[in-house]
Amino acid sequence: MNDYQNILEYFNQLPVLVKLVWYVSFLLFIFILGLIFYLKILRNNLRENEKKRIKYQKIYEENLINYLYAGDGIEGISPEQRVFINNMKKDISNTFNRNVLISVMTKLVNDISGEIAQAIHKFYFETGLIDYSLLKLKARKWEIKAAGIHELTQFEVKQAYNEIEKLIKHPHKEVRNQAQLYLVNLFQFKGLKFLNDLTYQLSEWDQIQLLEILQKFDNQEITDITLWLKSNNLSVVKFALKLAKVYNQFESKETLLELLKHNNKEIRVETIKVLGYFYDTDSKEYLKSNFHDITEGEQIAFFKLLENIADQTDQHFIIVNISHPNFEIKLMALKILKNINQPKFNTLKLAENDIDVERIVEFIKNN
Amino acid sequence: MDSSTVRIILLTIHVLFFIYAFSVIFSYVLLSFVSARESSQYMKRNSFVNYNEILSSTVSPSISIIAPAYNESLNIIENVRSLLSNHYVNYDVIIVNDGSKDDSLEKLIKAYDLVKVNYLINHQVPTKPLREGVFKSTNPAFEKLTVVDKENGGKADALNCGLNISQSKFVACIDVDCLLLEDALQKMIKPFLELTDVKVIASGGVIRIANACKIKEGKLIEINLPKKFIEIAQILEYLRSFLLGRMAWSRLNGLLVISGAFGMFDKKIAIDVGGYDTNTVGEDMEIIVRMRRSMEEQNIKYKVAYIPDPLCWTEAPDNYKILISQRNRWTRGTIEVLKKHRKIGFNPKYKFLGMLSYPYWFFYERLAPIIEIIGILYFIVLIALDNVKWDYAFAFFLAAYLFTIMFTIIAIYSEELTYHQYTKKGTGIKLLLVTLLEPFVLHPFILYAGIKGNIDYYFNKKIKWGEMKRKGLSKGESN
Amino acid sequence: MSEKKKIVLAEDNSTLSLLLKFRLQKEGYDIFIAKDGKQAIELIEEHNPELILTDIMMPYISGLEVISHVRNKLEMKVPIIVFSAAGQEEMVLKAFSLGANDFMGKPFSPNELVIRVKRLLS
Repeated sequence: MNDYQNILEYFNQLPVLVKLVWYVSFLLFIFILGLIFYLKILRNNLRENEKKRIKYQKIYEENLINYLYAGDGIEGISPEQRVFINNMKKDISNTFNRNVLISVMTKLVNDISGEIAQAIHKFYFETGLIDYSLLKLKARKWEIKAAGIHELTQFEVKQAYNEIEKLIKHPHKEVRNQAQLYLVNLFQFKGLKFLNDLTYQLSEWDQIQLLEILQKFDNQEITDITLWLKSNNLSVVKFALKLAKVYNQFESKETLLELLKHNNKEIRVETIKVLGYFYDTDSKEYLKSNFHDITEGEQIAFFKLLENIADQTDQHFIIVNISHPNFEIKLMALKILKNINQPKFNTLKLAENDIDVERIVEFIKNN
Repeated sequence: MDSSTVRIILLTIHVLFFIYAFSVIFSYVLLSFVSARESSQYMKRNSFVNYNEILSSTVSPSISIIAPAYNESLNIIENVRSLLSNHYVNYDVIIVNDGSKDDSLEKLIKAYDLVKVNYLINHQVPTKPLREGVFKSTNPAFEKLTVVDKENGGKADALNCGLNISQSKFVACIDVDCLLLEDALQKMIKPFLELTDVKVIASGGVIRIANACKIKEGKLIEINLPKKFIEIAQILEYLRSFLLGRMAWSRLNGLLVISGAFGMFDKKIAIDVGGYDTNTVGEDMEIIVRMRRSMEEQNIKYKVAYIPDPLCWTEAPDNYKILISQRNRWTRGTIEVLKKHRKIGFNPKYKFLGMLSYPYWFFYERLAPIIEIIGILYFIVLIALDNVKWDYAFAFFLAAYLFTIMFTIIAIYSEELTYHQYTKKGTGIKLLLVTLLEPFVLHPFILYAGIKGNIDYYFNKKIKWGEMKRKGLSKGESN
Repeated sequence: MSEKKKIVLAEDNSTLSLLLKFRLQKEGYDIFIAKDGKQAIELIEEHNPELILTDIMMPYISGLEVISHVRNKLEMKVPIIVFSAAGQEEMVLKAFSLGANDFMGKPFSPNELVIRVKRLLS
């Protein structure tokens, strides 16, 4: 007791500042104790959850596969399957179990098509998993909304179209992105309608995703992309250019030629690349005569185009550009020259002091 | 001087120390909050990303991994194999053998069926000349591999050579002895493709410590907590630095450094600014500062991104001698970079970079060891003069200590709540124990290395590169 | 021969492996599952299977290297079917040049896989 009083006395006579520091230290100490204590609990929970997850994953994996093979092959659901569905209905009322089951199902639908995939979709519907997903769409938190759309995409629930289509303009980027993926995964080109009046920019990442999804489907009707090529939204134009290339949209060539005069540099470069891919000759004269006014990016793209289509008439233009300061252009110019006029290439008088040209010529000769 | 002047001087010194200490703690609290918010956002944003579509797409941009190697013969075959097994489709691997004196090249040729090829190099960044030349594999399974053998010029020079060789739009510069997880490239490329309103010029990754982890033939099999104090203490340091510090700075877009062990760059920008600086030991930090500076000067909206996922694992020093020489080098690197770019410091023209990032690095990284040692010396003088107010000293010391361990524990939390890599039972206790002791055991060595770095920088210019003697990743198995 | 024909299946999606295993067992084959390329090579060397099914993209040793190993190092003529994901056309071409016999693009139908397996093993 005496010690305690001594400490108290000592403390009371301390200057205010020191007292304050002691208070802070005391609070920190309590806080740290709490953190340490909770860390123990947290780590335990994480470990237990992981064990549980693995356990249930194994169970659901086997059960699901048994279920899939217990079908009678026709439309209906066999009694065996019915029993399993009913068991599952109870299990999935628990969020943890539901998530594990969904992840197992997802792993399968991603890699499997045909009857089995359809059986999984049916299972998703019959067990009522679908209702949980639909409910998520109404959630206030964006991450739950997005997860809901993601699930409905995975299991190809087309009837959520109306609700999800509205989310294409959601303020949160992730929700918008999931909505786009839903539309394109389930409705392919028809789902791309949202591009018509898109107010925000589609990121390169989004564009690649959409393109990859479209390419998973064969023999589909490609909508006219002209409208998108003429869009005021730069990202839509860029996306349409990718479509033009992947789906060989020669028909839109007139629009492409107009895009050569677009005020955005990247779009002009991409346009030249697409035209190069088409082995287009109509743009050649225009680009040649404007060569000095266009940016280096466009010049490089144009030379790549020339690699495909250059002929004798371009010889003068090519020779002039052997002394272009850009290494890539020099290289392409020399390669093209060799292709269109080998004797000329062999007897080429090299400009002095241009070591690069010398090296390139040497390289081309040896390859 | 009369006694009142001395008193005023001393008081000023005290107040300055107090302000410094207080601002350090304040900035840490702030950074912790920012990083907590950013981490939770990041985890949510990436919880349902389907990377498959990106990684398999032929439209995805090309990436070159550039890995300089100097006398890495011991593990080079396995390390290259690990680099070749990435899941991204449109990528290649450029190993730059920087004048190794060992049999690295012969080993590579044999293991990967390499043959010398004609290769036209665009010398966009000047480098040391080639030695044996450029090699490619005859086996289609190793088609992604290019090996360049050049004369020794140091790490920065080797990276520059890789920049010249690469035909890709992006380059991932890494240490060859790093173990890269298979999804590393797709995660690192994401910010470049994702942001529409700013230009992403680089993205940095986290470095994790591989000591004691089980690694088999270039693949991480099991994550273990190392046994030695020095190794665990470094894990805590890395967690603090990567999960608290850098996470927050990336959120504020003020990141000044991307670890040289793993970072991705927009190749064109890296080349346009002139590539890596061969005259500094801090080339990894220097190139970022230079790229940022160039963006600011051109008035382009840009960002240096940061990916907190544990994608890159490397061996950390397991004894104090090597640790000290490593930190000594880092200190010299920081000094050199800040000195070279002192123009941006406190210069409102460089906005956030000049007014916040640079000053922060200058005061809390660059000057930290110096201020600390002055404080300690001053304290010793006071003790000698029997002039210490122990009431004050003890209370402040305790508070500072508690703050330190609180931040470390918060760093452990951010690890547990995000990636939770150390799952084994008993790890938590060990981490906490080391947390309590680290300020007394590891920190003095770090401080010593910092001071030594300063001394070497100013008085010992000819110091050669601290060599890190690595045990080699695969030996971790035996632990 | 009354003995069951052996198939090595290398695939890192465990659920898919299990699904295919059940299915192929029902068709009367003996299935060995590998979850990466390294295990696949071990199983191939140990069991000398009549057919190999391998994913292209796998941890550590890719499907391509498995094929290369089987054809060049082990010099086995055993038929190989590769699984590929969308966008891996280039890899599929490489797989064929290394000696693969057939490929299935993911997502694929297990029924169709069975048909192709039967065709190659008849």
